[in-house]
Amino acid sequence: MSSSAEEIEQLISQEYKQGFVTELEVDTFPPGLDEDVIAKLSKIKNEPDFMLEYRLKAFRHWQTMKSPDWAQLNIEPIDYQSISYYSAPKRKEDGPQSLDEVDPELLDTYKKLGIPLDEQERLAGVAVDAVFDSVSVATTFKGKLKDAGVIFCPISEALQEHPELVKQYLGSVVPEADNFFAALNAAVFTDGSFVYIPKGVRCPMELSTYFRINAANTGQFERTLIIADEGSHVSYLEGCTAPMRDENQLHAAVVELIVLDNAEIKYSTVQNWYPGDENGVGGIYNFVTKRAECRGSNSKVSWTQVETGSAITWKYPSCVLLGDDSVGEFYSVALTNNYQQADTGTKMIHIGKNTSSTIISKGISAGKAQNTYRGLVKVGKRAENARNYTQCDSLLVGDKCGAHTFPYVEVKQPSAQIEHEATTSKISEDQLFFCQQRGLSAEDAVSMIVNGFCKEVFKELPMEFAVEAQALLGISLEGSVG
Amino acid sequence: MANNYSAEYEKTSDALPGQSLDWLKVIRADAFKCFSDKGFPSLREEEWRYTNVAAIEKKLFTPQFNVEVNEIDKELLQNYQLDGVFTIVLVNGRVSLEHSNLEGLSDNISVLSMVDALDQKPELVEKYLAQAVNDKEHSFVAFNTAWFSDGLFIHVQANQVIEKPIQLLHIVTQADLLATTRSIVVVDEMAEASIIETYVGVENVYLTAAVTEVFVGKNAVLTLYKMQSEGDKAYHFGGIYVKQDKESRFTHHNFSFGGLLARNDIHTDLNVASECDLNGLFLGVKRQHIDNHTRINHAQPHAMSRELYKGVLNQRARGVFQGRVIVAEDAQQTNSEMNNRNLLLSNDAEVDTKPQLEIYADDVKCAHGVTVGQLDEKSVFYLQSRCLDEKTARNILTFAFANEMVDKIKVESLHEKLLLQLLQRFPQEGVEKSWL
Amino acid sequence: MLSIENLHASVGDTSILKGVNLQINPGEVHAIMGPNGAGKSTLSHVLSGKPGYIVTEGKVIYKGQNLLEMEPELRARAGVFLAFQYPVEIPGVSNIYLLKAALNAIRKHNGLEEVDAMDFLTLVKDKIKLLQMDEKFLYRAVNEGFSGGEKKRNEILQAAILEPALCMLDETDSGLDIDALKIVADGVNSLRSEDRSFLMITHYQRLLDYIKPDFVHVLAHGKIVKSGGAELALELEAKGYQWVEGQAA
Repeated sequence: MSSSAEEIEQLISQEYKQGFVTELEVDTFPPGLDEDVIAKLSKIKNEPDFMLEYRLKAFRHWQTMKSPDWAQLNIEPIDYQSISYYSAPKRKEDGPQSLDEVDPELLDTYKKLGIPLDEQERLAGVAVDAVFDSVSVATTFKGKLKDAGVIFCPISEALQEHPELVKQYLGSVVPEADNFFAALNAAVFTDGSFVYIPKGVRCPMELSTYFRINAANTGQFERTLIIADEGSHVSYLEGCTAPMRDENQLHAAVVELIVLDNAEIKYSTVQNWYPGDENGVGGIYNFVTKRAECRGSNSKVSWTQVETGSAITWKYPSCVLLGDDSVGEFYSVALTNNYQQADTGTKMIHIGKNTSSTIISKGISAGKAQNTYRGLVKVGKRAENARNYTQCDSLLVGDKCGAHTFPYVEVKQPSAQIEHEATTSKISEDQLFFCQQRGLSAEDAVSMIVNGFCKEVFKELPMEFAVEAQALLGISLEGSVG
Repeated sequence: MANNYSAEYEKTSDALPGQSLDWLKVIRADAFKCFSDKGFPSLREEEWRYTNVAAIEKKLFTPQFNVEVNEIDKELLQNYQLDGVFTIVLVNGRVSLEHSNLEGLSDNISVLSMVDALDQKPELVEKYLAQAVNDKEHSFVAFNTAWFSDGLFIHVQANQVIEKPIQLLHIVTQADLLATTRSIVVVDEMAEASIIETYVGVENVYLTAAVTEVFVGKNAVLTLYKMQSEGDKAYHFGGIYVKQDKESRFTHHNFSFGGLLARNDIHTDLNVASECDLNGLFLGVKRQHIDNHTRINHAQPHAMSRELYKGVLNQRARGVFQGRVIVAEDAQQTNSEMNNRNLLLSNDAEVDTKPQLEIYADDVKCAHGVTVGQLDEKSVFYLQSRCLDEKTARNILTFAFANEMVDKIKVESLHEKLLLQLLQRFPQEGVEKSWL
Repeated sequence: MLSIENLHASVGDTSILKGVNLQINPGEVHAIMGPNGAGKSTLSHVLSGKPGYIVTEGKVIYKGQNLLEMEPELRARAGVFLAFQYPVEIPGVSNIYLLKAALNAIRKHNGLEEVDAMDFLTLVKDKIKLLQMDEKFLYRAVNEGFSGGEKKRNEILQAAILEPALCMLDETDSGLDIDALKIVADGVNSLRSEDRSFLMITHYQRLLDYIKPDFVHVLAHGKIVKSGGAELALELEAKGYQWVEGQAA
């Protein structure tokens, strides 16, 4: 490889800054999974009976399923009996009622991650639910949200406080038998966020959940459920980090979004799980099922994701466009470096009339990484005037990586208009030289090129996350945010 | 699973050509084992997810050997025999020299039936047979290798340029017949040739399973045309597997019109600085199912590939396009473009398309595009502003959409035939027969 | 022949024409000039019936008929021809096919027999010489792979064959070098007659050196702000559009 290609790679690589471990007293289940473990889990959480039944049903189904092998991924077999399915910081009987009661060690951890949980310190306008291993440790701005009628709390709490809402919607978008990882999640999920925006309410602040895996040999199985009732609007963000460990750790989450008439959910992710080291040792297996159902007419869902972490990413945030005139959007930047592998994309299922969807996917592959876009655009028989526009571009850095594009287009409706475009290119030495010859440093040139490449996605991110995404990619975002 | 076919194979395999050749016996036996182990493809296989072949499995199609065919439907022959070309007619999977015409063909170009080639030049057949395709590729290839009854062996020697195309006219005259032909085309260094494969048959149920292996030598040029106009109830599997040497050029024009279920596989392996062009047009009416698979393997640097497949689906027809471009780690400076454009003309038509890029090299320029949808509204308005009513404008544009592929054909008699087929299958008001 | 009264038109929520009045009599050549974005092309689009424009007010009478109620092809068959600023490429449809289909549509509209193939070819070959085009163009797909100049000549060729009563030229001079411009202008001039009118839309005065207009109108902010004879074009060239735009405000 030439020196300038190396230079480009270096510019893309950077040290994982969130890899520290928090020393805490914890309650952890011994490794292993059977019906007893699930019962114990449900008991600890003091769940209503329907939950245990739901979990056991999922578990029984999961045992009949096989891990999916169709993705362009090389996954070491996972021993599900060697994982601990519950780990939580030790706490008082009732759990913390206010931030003052949260273990200072934990507050410190979040502070180090740049997520101060103190409401005074916290940027006003963003409420945070902090999930640490298997439990939510703190949720900020609850009072202010309550005034607006918005429910934003850990899902374990929602099961206590609003069981009827959870029962109505949980598993209604991603059924417990949907796929291998979703079934596992349904059986063992421990916490996650619950959001309900009532009719006609525009959520007064951004909601966000910060996921942190800390304990070794545990899996994180979180469950997020967001319901936007008629005419409501919410913007939700999530971030994720984990310590550097040599063992792979499993993160199998399920996110369900329900959007009713004229409502809108904007869901943004900056995923920075530990990716493993430069030799491909360690890192998180990120196997996530995310799906939104636009049930109401004129409803809208927008997924934006910046995926830079994880050893393996298997993730397809999808939109089921049931309501007439509903809109689905997917904006994605996926960066893989070293030995990282990503197989990610979306599904846009057009069922209602006049539904439209947009897919913008940008894959950047460096080192020995493999980066795959996999997407499905499906137009049903009754989806008159369905529209889809897909653009998926890949950028290759170095000659040992791979970039793959697997779009599926299935159309049963003659008035549909579907357009898919894909390109693959590299940052060429000619481009670099040209920029340098015009007086730019190599760094600035790469930054400019990568920045330009990702621009369409970054502009979909809320401002603060755009800044974080910029930091993650190690590039300047000047002029591209807004 | 493939049991009734196994029994039939036991019964008939002794009559297959070349059974006195030990090497071929082994190849055939291995292929049959491969087929009977795997059975017919299922919808669970990624390469077959949109195409169900259960109907073939349920039926038993039987081959016909050593039966002289004297009676050919004169009309079929007249309708599909092209002017201004050399013609070889294959009837029910066997070459029929009496209907063929190779008058004036240079001695440096050998055109033999596969039966004769196995008899006269077995070592040459051994050199090429099953070299461009592996039986594991899919069950129909294994099926063909095990069971081929005849085919062509065409060898164009170095520096030779064939002045006229060679037409291989496959005709099936009987119901329930299994026509399995295996052909080999070798174009040596600097040579140039063009070959037209035509598939036609009676209006009964029958099965064609044809495989053509192609070897394009250094700096050689081959253009291969395929016009598939099988009978309305026929099943058709046609695989074309190409090995291209350095700086060679291969062009394929694939016109898929006939059959109840048709599957085309076109694979090419590109060498250094070679080029390929894959063009295709599939028209589906009634309950037709047409499936096209292409694979372009950029194994070496500096090669270029271009691909354009167009589909027009009417009534209850279903079209499938799965295109795959693979760029290997060493295939730097690859240039590849793949496009698939589809029009759906009815509420019950369907199209499934999957253009894939798999790229393991960084210095490449690859793009692909897909559209499913309606006619360009700007063009509709332009034609309206030139006095045509909207319906006529749309009919003309639909026809033009398909005709763009036919227009690429420079062999006059073939061009005319294709145009006729297009008009027959899409009788569109306002589109005159005297299309210019 | 054509009478435009208080024409208002918009695209989406943006109103573009804000009360255009214009009278064109048989045999007259009118030029519409104006700065970019004044609504010149919109006027020709609205008159030819291009989808996407909403007429919010006013009327247009062409030969006693309400033009705005007619389908685009009926307008064309009735003799309203638009030479497009950006002629559309139609892959797969040959030029000669389009010409024949269009001519026959007009003839049918007028109760005439379809044109005889030989007569048609003679006619086309005759006209194509006028535009100094190669016969090969006839057999190529409509505008596909044509240079800018070739496309514009092709538009005039269509006009020459279809013989419209009202010929609108939308920025026909843009993208032409001087030689091509002369050829196009010669073609247009040869079409001038007592019963044929022209509406030329142009940003530059240059075209008017070769096709001399009877009237020049300046369109600014969606209205005709000044009208005059051929000399107005020269004045505009000298003083710039700010001169009339100022008057509009």
